[in-house]
Amino acid sequence: MTPPASPLAGDFVGLLERSQLPPLRIDPQATLPVVTQATTVFAFRFCDGVLMAGDRRATAGNVIVTDAVEKVLEIDDSSLLAIAGVPATAFEMARVLQTSFEYYRRSQLQPLSLPARVRALARLLRDNIPMALQGVGMVVPLFAGVDRTPSPPEPRIFFYDPLGAQFQAVHFAASGSGSATIRSILAFQERHGSPRPAEMSLDEAIRFALRLLMTAAEFDSATGGVNPSAAQFATLKILRGTGVESISEERQAAALGTGGPRA
Amino acid sequence: MTDEPYRWLEAIGNRREYVREQLKGGSPVLLASRPEGILLMGVARGQGKVFEIHDRHAMAALGHPADIERIRQAAIDATHLEAFTRAPEDVSLRRLVSFGLSAQLKQNFEQLFTAPVLGEFAFAELGATPPEDLLARVHFDGTFALRPGGVLVVGPDADLEAGATRWLHSQLDPSLSWTSVARLLLEAWWMVSTGTPFDGTLPSATEREQGWRAATADARIELGWLNRRSSRTARYEPLDSAALNGSPPLPTPP
Repeated sequence: MTPPASPLAGDFVGLLERSQLPPLRIDPQATLPVVTQATTVFAFRFCDGVLMAGDRRATAGNVIVTDAVEKVLEIDDSSLLAIAGVPATAFEMARVLQTSFEYYRRSQLQPLSLPARVRALARLLRDNIPMALQGVGMVVPLFAGVDRTPSPPEPRIFFYDPLGAQFQAVHFAASGSGSATIRSILAFQERHGSPRPAEMSLDEAIRFALRLLMTAAEFDSATGGVNPSAAQFATLKILRGTGVESISEERQAAALGTGGPRA
Repeated sequence: MTDEPYRWLEAIGNRREYVREQLKGGSPVLLASRPEGILLMGVARGQGKVFEIHDRHAMAALGHPADIERIRQAAIDATHLEAFTRAPEDVSLRRLVSFGLSAQLKQNFEQLFTAPVLGEFAFAELGATPPEDLLARVHFDGTFALRPGGVLVVGPDADLEAGATRWLHSQLDPSLSWTSVARLLLEAWWMVSTGTPFDGTLPSATEREQGWRAATADARIELGWLNRRSSRTARYEPLDSAALNGSPPLPTPP
């Protein structure tokens, strides 16, 4: 009744495959539809941890599908995933990761290490290469996880290419159609600005993140941006060595204050 | 040996006696549904006895560590497959026990040429309110009983189990802190472990306290907590038994 044991203990994807329920099932003959895309996400280090942010717009071609997408997902209490690309694939990847990490922790009675978490996402991206090459399932995510090797534990940022290569970001990373603008501003602030992102307090980091999205939305129609007067905010999550905190819309409004863009 | 019905029945009877003999001396585990959550308690000398299964589910067991591990792994596999392919809200203790574990245990027990499962099991499902809590007692041969909330004692002796359950029901007040509840569970654990009957005159509270403290001096008290008030998806939290060293009452878990 129970499927044969996997050679890899605590491997939830292996359990799914043994149960004939493989995740991310692909159709290699799929034709190219107009697919929904989600952009823009980024993460940077501030004085208290890592801030990960995303706008809330999803588009299909020139159509705005919704302005209420959650692109920064809490995988568990020490991992965040920010998705840019096709939401159908990205949300499935997030679900596989969430269940995999919890499955490993419960079955093996210890949490999965950060390098293994980072590689688990790379493995899902590699499995998705056929869909990415056809242009119907490309996902370019960001990942933030707590490294428990140092004391105290430290959050770290990783970014990927669509083929699954993983890179650790020292200060910041961005992905999605508005990322070029955001990376430029982050690089400028890191090299010439004051305070540098890594020196910002939480309130300063929240305000900075919201202004980054406002600016990206100026140049990219697929980025939803932030509009306090219309109660349109971003998804902001903080990853510290001690866990995850979600920043409410009220807190975002308070941090932004009267600091909206000049007319 | 098993080609005649009589011999098969005899073999099954022998197997049942063998398993019961092996389980004698096993360390009992106890569960209590509380207004703030469900407390699971066991005393371990080697491998653990209290485990998280899924977001709202936990188990405790006595028996051979390898068999406890087999059942724990089967429960974790089944609940995670269910949660992934349907939704976490669809994971149900009633379905896990009645359609999954019970059938596997019965099949294993009646396959005479395989090693029997040496274990007795308790499962807990946290509800939105205490009356919605569900406790399951699962035996080595696949028989099981589900009950809403209350207390569940799993030990090697059915009479002591029933006595401990009655006594705990009379002692557990909803206003008690979790440390007070854990102390009462440990008193009941000590009495079941030592074969002390619950009818007639019980040892005094001081004797019971000294009894469990002496009996657990070289062991590890395991306390698991399914927290009804937690905002986290995974409600299970291990509790630190060092809190039992203070004087009652201590604060309830967050």
